[in-house]
Amino acid sequence: MDLQGRVSLVTGAAGGIGVKICEKFASLGSFVYLCDIKDTTEIVNSINSKYQKPRAATAKCDISNKDDVKAMYRHISEKSGGVDILINNAAVYGPKEKRHFPEISVDDFIKTIQIDLSGAVYCTLLAIPHMRQKGWGRIIFSAAPMSSSGIPSPYLAGKAGFIGLTKYISKNYTQDGILSFALALRHVDTPLIRKVIASRGHSVEDGIDTMNKKSLTGKMISPEEIAEIYAHFSLTSLPDLSGTVVLADGGITYLR
Amino acid sequence: MQELMHDYKGKNCIIFGANSIVGMELSKFLSQKEVNLGLIDLESHKHNMLNEINGNSESRIVNKTVSSGNEDSFKNVVDNIVNDLGSVDYLICNFYLEEEMRKYNSNDISVDTWDKIFEKWILNYFLVARATVPYMLQKNSGKLVYMNTTTGYTGEGEGEGYLTGNGSIYENACSSAITGMMTSIGRDIIPKGISVNGIALGPNYMNDMERILWAVDFWLSGLCEYAPAQILRLY
Repeated sequence: MDLQGRVSLVTGAAGGIGVKICEKFASLGSFVYLCDIKDTTEIVNSINSKYQKPRAATAKCDISNKDDVKAMYRHISEKSGGVDILINNAAVYGPKEKRHFPEISVDDFIKTIQIDLSGAVYCTLLAIPHMRQKGWGRIIFSAAPMSSSGIPSPYLAGKAGFIGLTKYISKNYTQDGILSFALALRHVDTPLIRKVIASRGHSVEDGIDTMNKKSLTGKMISPEEIAEIYAHFSLTSLPDLSGTVVLADGGITYLR
Repeated sequence: MQELMHDYKGKNCIIFGANSIVGMELSKFLSQKEVNLGLIDLESHKHNMLNEINGNSESRIVNKTVSSGNEDSFKNVVDNIVNDLGSVDYLICNFYLEEEMRKYNSNDISVDTWDKIFEKWILNYFLVARATVPYMLQKNSGKLVYMNTTTGYTGEGEGEGYLTGNGSIYENACSSAITGMMTSIGRDIIPKGISVNGIALGPNYMNDMERILWAVDFWLSGLCEYAPAQILRLY
């Protein structure tokens, strides 16, 4: 089983999880567009260096800007026909300051939720028509457990919104060949987490060790494992599975 | 008909989305319990609500129209209500989707429609709470009740009786996003004495007013302390 002939669009492609998803999907034969506000040329070159023909391309885009998203879709449509697999992975864990309610500013709320929710909605709405026409599509969301603690309201509102989107797509578009899944992520060992630990003056190894011990499984989830799960979702041909939401948190939610 | 079981006499309650059928019914019942009401909506009130609601009740009622998505407008409206009635004890966010949104279904999707619905539902819920909660924090007490729909959990919505009539991808996304927002806001303000809870309306909710009243009564009473940041789903 592979994803040859399938065009994937991965948002948040420059992040720790996004890179691994792109690498995994390219390894399965998919042509992958790396969508991020940051430049992803180096990642694209790294992926393409492994194969005889290119399997990746940049798709620089600010997903909070709908005109930018529309332009990206036009470009992909012209170059590759359209998006077959959409991985809504982009998010900002914001705002950095004054994140608690009601101190959080309206501007910060809007900026964050525009990326974390509206960006994914734009990408999803623009992907559906091509997928319906083709009779095949996969839309996957990087969500979060609703019970997570310490999460700012616009971030959690965005992530929780993915659950409703996943359910709706499964109820209304499964007959068109579009399947949808959500992975409620928490406790993932990303470069960003390591950076945060270091910025607080702690030893990264000690910090990771402490976080590993907090989980039911004794270890954090790796970005490679997340990519494996997304590949598993994308490869399935069982329509009844659509709408599945999986909590991937190493069991930490149950321990709190 | 369901009676409100607890005593709310003299309390001040803001209802955002007061023009809706549910908003009207809630206003009537709370007014009969002598709750003072600050009624807010995006449009001026359609049904001569002051006369219809107030009846022989001694409750005071203030009607206000707010500008969608406008932080200053929400703040001014809430400040004016507090000036008229005194500080706020309860906020019920009960905004409803308008008639025009009922036409959207799974064949009719657009990013522009999303922006409109996002603003009217999610952003306005945030703005009204942000304008109101500081008054509750001043006295370390208050209750927030968020209304959304069960579609955010089930993905249903194609059918008569759902909030949008035909159901829509926008409603599903907004509904579950409101759940996330409510949970997160709850984590920030429940420890400061303000309860936060939700009610998810199911299909044919307009025939189910008794259960809605029962749920509102539950969350406005002290019983909410046993279920912080939880949602009653009325299927």
